[in-house]
Amino acid sequence: MENLHQNKSFWSKYVFSTDHKTIGTQYMIMGMIMAGVGGYLAYVFRYNLAFPGKSIPFYGMLGPQAYNAFVTIHGMIMVFWVGMPVLLSALGNYLIPIMIGSDDMAFPTVNMLSFWIFAVSALVLIASFFVPGGAFGGGWTMYPPFSAQGYVNHNPNFFTALFSGTSLLILAVALELVAMLMGGINFLVTTINKRAKGMTPWRIPVIIWFINIAAVIFMFSVGPLVAGAFMLLFDNVLGTGFYDPHRGGDPMLWEHLFWFFGHPEVYVLLLPSLGVLAEIVPVFSRKPLFAYKTVIYLALLSAFLSVLVWAHHQFVAGIDPRMATFFSIGTILISIPFAGIFLSYMATLWGGSIRMKLPMLWAIGFIGLFLVGGLTGLFLGSNTFDIYAHDTYFVVAHFHYTLFPDIFFGFFAAFYYWFPKFTGKELNAKLGKWHFWLTFIFFNGVFFLLFFNGLAGQHRRINDYSSFSLISREPYQTFEQIATVCAIGLMLSQFIFLYNFITSFRKGKKAVKNPWESTTLEWQSDSPPPHGNFNPYPEVHRGAYDYSLPEAKEDFTPQNVPNVN
Amino acid sequence: MTIFPENVSTYGQEIDNLFWLILVFAAIAFFISLFVLLYPLIKYSSKNGKRAEYITGEKRKHYKWITYALVALLLSDFVILYVEHDTWGNIESVPAISKNDVHVGIIARQWNWIFVYPGPDGVLGTRDDVVIDSMNSSLHVPINANVIFELRSTDVIHSFFLANARLKQDALPGRTVMRWFNITKPGKYDISCTQICGILHSKMRNYVLAETPEQYKHFTDSLYNANKVVTSSK
Repeated sequence: MENLHQNKSFWSKYVFSTDHKTIGTQYMIMGMIMAGVGGYLAYVFRYNLAFPGKSIPFYGMLGPQAYNAFVTIHGMIMVFWVGMPVLLSALGNYLIPIMIGSDDMAFPTVNMLSFWIFAVSALVLIASFFVPGGAFGGGWTMYPPFSAQGYVNHNPNFFTALFSGTSLLILAVALELVAMLMGGINFLVTTINKRAKGMTPWRIPVIIWFINIAAVIFMFSVGPLVAGAFMLLFDNVLGTGFYDPHRGGDPMLWEHLFWFFGHPEVYVLLLPSLGVLAEIVPVFSRKPLFAYKTVIYLALLSAFLSVLVWAHHQFVAGIDPRMATFFSIGTILISIPFAGIFLSYMATLWGGSIRMKLPMLWAIGFIGLFLVGGLTGLFLGSNTFDIYAHDTYFVVAHFHYTLFPDIFFGFFAAFYYWFPKFTGKELNAKLGKWHFWLTFIFFNGVFFLLFFNGLAGQHRRINDYSSFSLISREPYQTFEQIATVCAIGLMLSQFIFLYNFITSFRKGKKAVKNPWESTTLEWQSDSPPPHGNFNPYPEVHRGAYDYSLPEAKEDFTPQNVPNVN
Repeated sequence: MTIFPENVSTYGQEIDNLFWLILVFAAIAFFISLFVLLYPLIKYSSKNGKRAEYITGEKRKHYKWITYALVALLLSDFVILYVEHDTWGNIESVPAISKNDVHVGIIARQWNWIFVYPGPDGVLGTRDDVVIDSMNSSLHVPINANVIFELRSTDVIHSFFLANARLKQDALPGRTVMRWFNITKPGKYDISCTQICGILHSKMRNYVLAETPEQYKHFTDSLYNANKVVTSSK
C-alpha cells in the first residue's frame, strides 16, 4: 500500500488526489474561500442596512437589485458552499476512514470526482454574478413564479435564458447536490464495509454515526428537490409551467419540494457538528459520553422526524390551517431528541475533570449560543406566533443563532481539536483564545439586538426601510448600526484564525501523537497520518469513550488496547 | 421603548400574550440550562486535581434527570400548543359575513397593493366593484368592524403584513385566500410586503386607514359617486 502512493507528481498528489485526507483538505479550503465570499457579501449588505444610501468601502453604491442578489447568494453560499463542504464533506473525509481504522474511502475516485463537481458548482455560482442581469435576487428559497420568469423575460432565446442568474443558480445547486450525494454514498459504504477488526456498530464514535445519519437524511430528502429544481430550470429555459399559475402550475408545489429538502438539510448541517461535540466533550471532561447508545437512538429518531416538519416554513403561505397544527406538533417533537443530545453533553461535564483547552472552549460556546437559537425556535414553532414573526428579523436572528454556532463554532472546535493530528503541528493557543472570545462577543453583538428589530415588525430582505414608519425610527436604526459594526469586527477576527493557521502550519511546534490523550483510533496513528493511515492496522477492543475506567491506571484507554492491565 | 408595535386589532393582544407565555418557558429553560452548562466547568475543573468519575449514563439514577427535563420540555410545548390553538383558529378561519362587516379585495402586484371595494351593493365580485390602483390610495376601513378580505396576487408571491394588527398572509398567484381583521383604533397603519418580490420589494408599502364609521361612509359615498361609470374587477 505504502509503495503504491509514493513518487506521485504534484498534480496527482495535491490536485487530483484520491487520498481522503487531501480531499478533506480541498473541501475545507474551498469552504473557507467560499466563506470569505459569503462574508464579503454579508459585509456589503450589512453596511448598506446600517448606512442606507452611503457608498460602501470596498464596494461602492449598492442598488436594490444587487442588494437582493447579495442577500440571496449569501444564504446560498453559507448553507451549500460552506456548511455542507466543511461539516459534511471535510469532516467526513478526514475522519471516517481513520476513525474506523481503515486506509481510505471505499471509492477513492468517486470521492475525487465528488470534490471536482463541487468545485465546478462553486464556479457556476460565482459566474452567475457576471451574466447580464446579475445573480438571482429572489431569496435563497427561490420561490417561483419570481424564479421562473426566465422564459418569459428572455423569450424565446434559449441560451439567454440558460445563462441567466436564475438558471445558473439552479444548475449550481443541482451540481452541488450531486457532489454531496456522491460523497454521502461513499461515507455509508465506507462505514459499513471498511471498519477495522472489532469495530462493531456500538463501538463506532458518535461523530461517524452522526455523519452517516446526516448522509441518510440528505439522500432521503434531496431527490424531490433535484427533481423540483429541474422543473424550475425547465420553466425558465423551456417554457414549461410547473410553478406558474398562468401556465397551469402552482407555486405552492415548489414550496413543498423546497422545504421537504430544506428543513432536513438543517439537520444534515447540525448532526456532524453535534458529532464534533460528542468527541470533544468526553475528551476534555475525561469522562465517557453520557448515554452513548441513547444519543445515537435520539439522532435516528430525529432523522425520522426531520421529514415531518417542513411545512412549518409555510404557516402563512396559505396552506390549510388544520395542517399547520400537525406540523407544529412535529416541530415540537423534533426538539426533544436534540434537547436530549445536548443534555447528554451537559451531563457528561458533571463529575468530570474538565480541561478548558481551546476545542472545549469552542464546544461550550457552541452549546451556549445554540441554547439561544433553540429556545427562540419555540416562538417560531408555534404556528400562531409565527403569523407575526414569520419573515421578520426575529427569524433572521434565530437561524443565525443556530447555524452560526453549528457551522462556525462546530468547525472551529473540530479545527482546533484535529489540527495537531492532521498537520503534526501545534496551534498557538493564545491566538486561539483571542479568536474565540472576539468571535463569541462580536457574534452576539450582531444578532442579539436584531431579535428586538424583528419583534418591532422589521421584515427581511429590504434594502431601505425609509418607507416603513415602524422601523425607520430609533432605537432600531441604532441596533442595525451596532450589528454592522460587530459584523465587521466578527469578520476581522477571522484573520487572527487565518494567521494562526498559516504560521502554525509552517513553523508551529511539532505536535505529539496524542496531545489531548484521546481514545479514538485517529490518535493512535502518527501525526500527520501517512497515506494509508495505519501500519499495522489496528484491532478494536472497546468502545470509543473509555475515559477514567476505574480499573485502569491512566484516565484514558484507547480503543485498540486489549487489556487494561 | 416597547417590544411590539402598538396593537390595534381585536386578536393582536392574544398573540402578544402568547409571546410572553413562551418567553417565560424559554427564560426558565435558558437559565437552568446555562447553570447546568457552566457550573460544572468550575466545580469539576481539572485544576481541583480529582480524577473523573466513570459514569456511562446508562443507570437509571443518572439518566432520570434528563428524562425529567425532556418531559418538562414536552409538557411546556404542549401547554403552548393548547393555549395558542384557539387563537390560531380565530385568526385563520374567516367569520361568516354579516351586515356590519366589510368585504374587500386586496390584490398584490409588483409593486403595490390594489384595493377592491364592493360597490354600493356591498357584495364583492359584482359589476359595481371599484378598483383603486394607486400608490397614493390607502385601504380605508371602518373601526370595530370585521374586515374580511380576499387576497390575491397577479404575478409573483407577495405577503400581506399588517404589523399593528399582528396579521400576515402570503398572496400566491393562482389562489384566493380569505383572511380578516378588526381594527379598534383609528389611525394609519403600514402594510408591508414580506416576501421578496423583485427590485422594488423595499418600496411595496401602503397603508390601512382605519376610520370612524361616519368617515368611512363618507369615503365610500364619494368613491361610489365618482365611479358612477360602472367598473368591473373581474
